[in-house]
Amino acid sequence: MATDTQQRGFDLRKYVSTSGLLLAVIALFIILALIAPNFLSSRNLLNVLRAVSFNGIIACGMTLMIIQGDIDISIGSAVAWSSSLLGVLVIKMGWPMGLAVPVVLVQGMLIHALAGYIRVKWLVPSFVLTLALFMMLRGAARQITNAFPISPFPEGFAFWGGGTIDMFGLGIPVPVIIMLIVFAIFYVISTRTVFGRSVYCVGGNEHATHLSGISVGRTRIITFMLVGLLSAFVGILLSSRIQSGSSQIALGLEFEVIAAVIIGGTSLMGGAGTIVGTFLGVLFIGLIGNGMVLMGVSPFMQEIVRGFIILVAVFVSILQVRTGKGRTS
Amino acid sequence: MLDQSVPVLELCDLTKHYPGVLALDRFSISLKAGEVRALLGKNGAGKSTAIKVLSGATMPDDGKILIDGRTRHILGPLDALHEGIATVYQEISLVPALSVAENILLGRWKKTDWFSGLISHAKGQAFARDILDRLKIDIDPATPVSRLNVAQQQLVEIAKAVSFDPRVLVLDEPTSALPQRQVDLLHDVVRTLSGLGTAIIYVTHRLHEVPKIAHSVSVLRDGQLIDTIPVEQATPAKITELMIGSNWQGMAFERSKKSGAPILRVENLSTEGKLNNISFELYPGEILGLAGLLSSGRTELLRAIFGLDAISGGNIIVDGTKVLKPNPQKMKALGLGLTAEDRKRDGLILDFSVEMNATLAPVDRISKHGWLDKAAARTLTQDVVEKLDVKTSSLDVHVGALSGGNQQKIVIGNWLNTQPRILLMDEPSRGVDVAAKEQIFKLIRQLASEGLAVLFVSSEIEEVLDVCDRILVIHEGEITDEYDHDAIDLSTLMARTMNAADDVEEQ
Repeated sequence: MATDTQQRGFDLRKYVSTSGLLLAVIALFIILALIAPNFLSSRNLLNVLRAVSFNGIIACGMTLMIIQGDIDISIGSAVAWSSSLLGVLVIKMGWPMGLAVPVVLVQGMLIHALAGYIRVKWLVPSFVLTLALFMMLRGAARQITNAFPISPFPEGFAFWGGGTIDMFGLGIPVPVIIMLIVFAIFYVISTRTVFGRSVYCVGGNEHATHLSGISVGRTRIITFMLVGLLSAFVGILLSSRIQSGSSQIALGLEFEVIAAVIIGGTSLMGGAGTIVGTFLGVLFIGLIGNGMVLMGVSPFMQEIVRGFIILVAVFVSILQVRTGKGRTS
Repeated sequence: MLDQSVPVLELCDLTKHYPGVLALDRFSISLKAGEVRALLGKNGAGKSTAIKVLSGATMPDDGKILIDGRTRHILGPLDALHEGIATVYQEISLVPALSVAENILLGRWKKTDWFSGLISHAKGQAFARDILDRLKIDIDPATPVSRLNVAQQQLVEIAKAVSFDPRVLVLDEPTSALPQRQVDLLHDVVRTLSGLGTAIIYVTHRLHEVPKIAHSVSVLRDGQLIDTIPVEQATPAKITELMIGSNWQGMAFERSKKSGAPILRVENLSTEGKLNNISFELYPGEILGLAGLLSSGRTELLRAIFGLDAISGGNIIVDGTKVLKPNPQKMKALGLGLTAEDRKRDGLILDFSVEMNATLAPVDRISKHGWLDKAAARTLTQDVVEKLDVKTSSLDVHVGALSGGNQQKIVIGNWLNTQPRILLMDEPSRGVDVAAKEQIFKLIRQLASEGLAVLFVSSEIEEVLDVCDRILVIHEGEITDEYDHDAIDLSTLMARTMNAADDVEEQ
């Protein structure tokens, strides 16, 4: 039957996109182990994980965002704004941490909820909308801090972004543990909940989803809120890591995160992508960056390589579209 | 006025096969200079294929096209234009931001004398004005197309076609999207063009305009030319008889008795520009047919009831309770479902699995407190596949890989899984093979006998008569007639849908 061969083709594609990336990560790991000095030390490997943890946390939300056919380029600014706000509230205004942190988280969620609402209500493309946020939030962060870092935070706060927990005889960085928990939560959201399924449906075919009596608008807004929440959360973690509220952090973060999601196999056309893929994408970028540092590649060269990897990832996804998704017409 | 000597256009034995269908079967006609020929036929009779062949959009398997007595080889759309055949399609394809003149000259813009890289708007507008004057169209060529109404845009399309100096102009349902008062405008232009000697093939579904505009009528059925008659003989009764033929045999279904109070009442429903004061009742166990032409408002009516389009007036009453601000979520909760006309756009997510697509709507039945119950989704999908006899190798195949009939069964199954009480079905047989079509109709009849109320739309008048208990005729956004299925015959019903009521009463 005709459907049989097509089905195999389809399954194969799915198989290639995640497992292919897993193989690429393993291959990269082996190559680096062989040629990069000190790569295999546990200290270095934990460094790799720590380096990607902040991006990884936001990448979880960004994955849902891109699956539903939207994009958010405001996250770097949202991180800086949240960090600056935390600094102002705690250090300048003397709020207790226990109050300031929830306030920062909630405002992050609300700002993005408003963005999502505008997206849904007036059909503003999310790129344009978050471009506006990208500028406004960065400007607001600099405005309230005069573009100077605000420090110091109370003692003990440094634990969340810079501390370690002893497990398996190793000091595992706290942000790494948090990242793994966030990935686990988003894995469950994307595969086990009505909301997660709706995100895929919205990105797959908005018309059919709407007509099936699923609220497209609500789904979109919730995803925006999750990304806002994660951005504020990472803003707090980064503040803890650098022990100050700063408007200058997370510059260019949005594109690193989007790159990881795309390398992880999520389609910019919407409707396809996995949290596991994003995790592998985050690892892949982390390993490449680390390997290049260890091998003394110049920072400029590193940028070129990262850009090239995105090009390759896009090319792979285009090939998949050509062989599979292109049939929609 | 007509030059009787040499035919401008001759089609000889044009034949075109598509997989499984003989779309054109030795189709031959000839047109004289200035002749307006109405080309009529049901959906799928071969009209669109004929147009495609003439416009160079597709190549015939066999047969010849002669213009002014000479054989022409038309290999593509540009060839068609060069050989003297211009086609104006139903859909308007102008660039809204550009002016009338720029649209008429699209891609062939006049250049300035001193530098061929620059466009001369003055020259272009002079050229366009010349053509518009020739057709007696009163539109300023400098106007942006976005400021014109649909009829004016249609006229610009015609002017654009005429700018190629065609010997033959093909018009594909030029009035289907126009309100009545703008139709005259278009007819005037067609007459002017005919007076200038251009032969015109005029495809239409509106019978009442045939005597006003055409000199002769050709009727297609199953890809064959059935007859060509002078317009004087072309009464609606005669035309519908030619269109239907005598070999139609209806499918016989058990009819169910409607019972009790109406489950759905629509009162004076109106939407902006589409529906006008529509009222009817739908009873449990009843299949109510909606017969009408493509842009008669039948799809719009279903969409308005289901809350997809905003309503400007009137009430939708389910179980005696008025629904305030209908939307799909609300209507679904009330027990309504809608299977969309364009299943690829509105009914399915083609890249997703059969299981996902069969359980899009019944979210409540495959989840608890927001958590998915995958076993329940599997069971519901299996039910659909068995009950509707869906041919698929597994439930995880992407639904785009299934045949049209099986895709349609998934669309219907998706809604049956919500255990609906009212199903709005828009063209459930479109793009579906005969076997699947019959299965689907049987299923609908069976569900009706179990109490489901169905509002049924089809372009195939025969189907409406076959399947439905009661039939409403919808014309330009208004319900014009209501019949019990045994109180009307096919050709009368067809004439009613294709036509304003008064023309029929004249006969």
